[in-house]
Amino acid sequence: MIDVSGLVSTILNNQVNIPLLYVIYEFLLKIPVIGSIVTFLLSIIPLFDVPIIRLLIGFLLWKPMWVLLIIPGFATLGTMLLILPWLERKLVGRMQWRVGPREIAPRTRGSIQLLADSLRFLCQEVIIHKDAHRLYFLQFPFLYFLPVLLPLLFINAGAVGRPLVPIETPYALQIMVGLISLMPVFIMGVGWSSNNRFAFIGTVREAFMYFAYEIPFIIVILAMIVLFKTSNTVGVVNAQGTYWGIVLNPLAALVFFIAAVMATARLPFEIPEADQELSFGPFIEYSGIAFGLAYVMAYEKMYVLSAIMTMLFLGGGSGPVIPYLGDLSYGIWFVIKTLIILLVMVNLRGVYPRYRLDQALNVGWGAILIFAIVALLWSVVLGVVL
Amino acid sequence: MKKVATPDYTVADKLKTHVAALSTAAKEVVLPLNITTHYPRERKRQPECFRGFMLFDPERCISCFQCSFVCPANAVWMKEAPSGRYYPTVDHGKCIYCHFCVDTCLGGALKTTKIHDIAFRTMDEMVVMTEDMVEPPEIIREDVVYVDYVIDREDLSLKRTKGKDELIVEIAPSEGVPMVSQCIDRESCIACKVCTKVCESGAVSSVKDEEKLIVKMEIDAEKCTGCGLCVKECSMQILRLVRRE
Repeated sequence: MIDVSGLVSTILNNQVNIPLLYVIYEFLLKIPVIGSIVTFLLSIIPLFDVPIIRLLIGFLLWKPMWVLLIIPGFATLGTMLLILPWLERKLVGRMQWRVGPREIAPRTRGSIQLLADSLRFLCQEVIIHKDAHRLYFLQFPFLYFLPVLLPLLFINAGAVGRPLVPIETPYALQIMVGLISLMPVFIMGVGWSSNNRFAFIGTVREAFMYFAYEIPFIIVILAMIVLFKTSNTVGVVNAQGTYWGIVLNPLAALVFFIAAVMATARLPFEIPEADQELSFGPFIEYSGIAFGLAYVMAYEKMYVLSAIMTMLFLGGGSGPVIPYLGDLSYGIWFVIKTLIILLVMVNLRGVYPRYRLDQALNVGWGAILIFAIVALLWSVVLGVVL
Repeated sequence: MKKVATPDYTVADKLKTHVAALSTAAKEVVLPLNITTHYPRERKRQPECFRGFMLFDPERCISCFQCSFVCPANAVWMKEAPSGRYYPTVDHGKCIYCHFCVDTCLGGALKTTKIHDIAFRTMDEMVVMTEDMVEPPEIIREDVVYVDYVIDREDLSLKRTKGKDELIVEIAPSEGVPMVSQCIDRESCIACKVCTKVCESGAVSSVKDEEKLIVKMEIDAEKCTGCGLCVKECSMQILRLVRRE
């Protein structure tokens, strides 16, 4: 027998504290018709001595649910996915003396371009060519979502002493690294099942890049674990009370950033996808909604990696408290920091040309690996010896 | 043979170039130097001498065929009108818009415009007949702003002005170089009288030489317009256009 009332009291005792919502509630009660509707809704009490509407809102405001669904979870992720490609195209356009998307809703400067694009992806036919491994071809893009989205469960968007994390576990960073390391496996599966020469080349390049960035990436995470003496995301943010991780170990931040750019195949390291010669590499055979998923997945991966970087190096959601927003202000600071990292990551394409594969491997196995080891040693000196 | 070596960059040089590239990008994000004209809502203002679609004024045409002769792309063909005269047609599939025909037109019948956005549905439509060149083609104007390109000391910038740019250029009819037809070898004239038939101003007349009992042609320099029709038609090729004194 499930203890339902116990669950209800758990939910209602662990709520996100946003004073602004109470102000809105008081204001709603004063409006003639809407006020009476609100009081009527609050009078429906079927069970547990709590109004049903309070239960529903309480479920959304339940801390783990709030973090997972609203900030920095799926709602924020969805908004980011809608505005980030537009921002990228606009900013890169400005860098290159172009205008960027403009023709769809010109008054808003083409801001709903991605909505129009996704509408097109939805309406387009998904073509599965006859040489493709049908089963894997269709399931891998969807399976890819698991390792991309699951790290969101462990991201702490709170500040020191105010954790906002769906699942608190001492192995959070290890689990996230494990999930992120899983992503290229699915890309390789996608490339293999496509059964296309360009997809094969892209897949092999992805495998090469995987080894080039993964080892420095893991070493840098290890360096931060050594520095903070914990791998719990709550502990990681708490340890950055006085100094942010980027001040304590700037080299680690640099290596993490470059590894993240390599992992998401952004432009200096856009080797697996290589628009000009491989035309989206492993995903070349996809069309319609499957291509839309593949297109969006790169941005999701980027969001997750930027969120981890915000958490590890920029102090999570710490920042000046905005009045009336309570816990929401931490989430807002977290999203702002993540957005800044995302924009820097995305706009590198306006600055750098693409590295050759051997040059990128040289960077990955050479400079980045050495920097990562130096960062680890520095963390040992700072965290253990001092 | 001299081998070009790769420049040897130090770490400091590399860092400097990275910082320069990133700061340039940041500067362009804040203050972009944009030179895009939003056609068709905006139109670049072309100079008066812009070589666009050609207009034709049949009143001024003397059917001298010069436009057809001079065309390097062989795009100008003369077609016979119901009146018996020949007027030019332009094949826009071949035309390279050099406007030699406009420059060479003696009567100033061909005229340039600033219209550069003409579209044809088929290849056959690209041969624009004379009657379609009299009036400017129908254009759907969406522009409310015209743009001038201003060249500063080092950069290019745009100057936007509200209003529509007039696409039809008003040019005063060219006077042309005053020419006159002249016979260079009167002995060879066989008096076929083609020049008399072809001359529109009646400047060529036949003169009878009583002593030798032959007929020679004579050109009245006052009446001659210098159109060159007789020069073209002369069967003995003894007529030349010379500059009028």
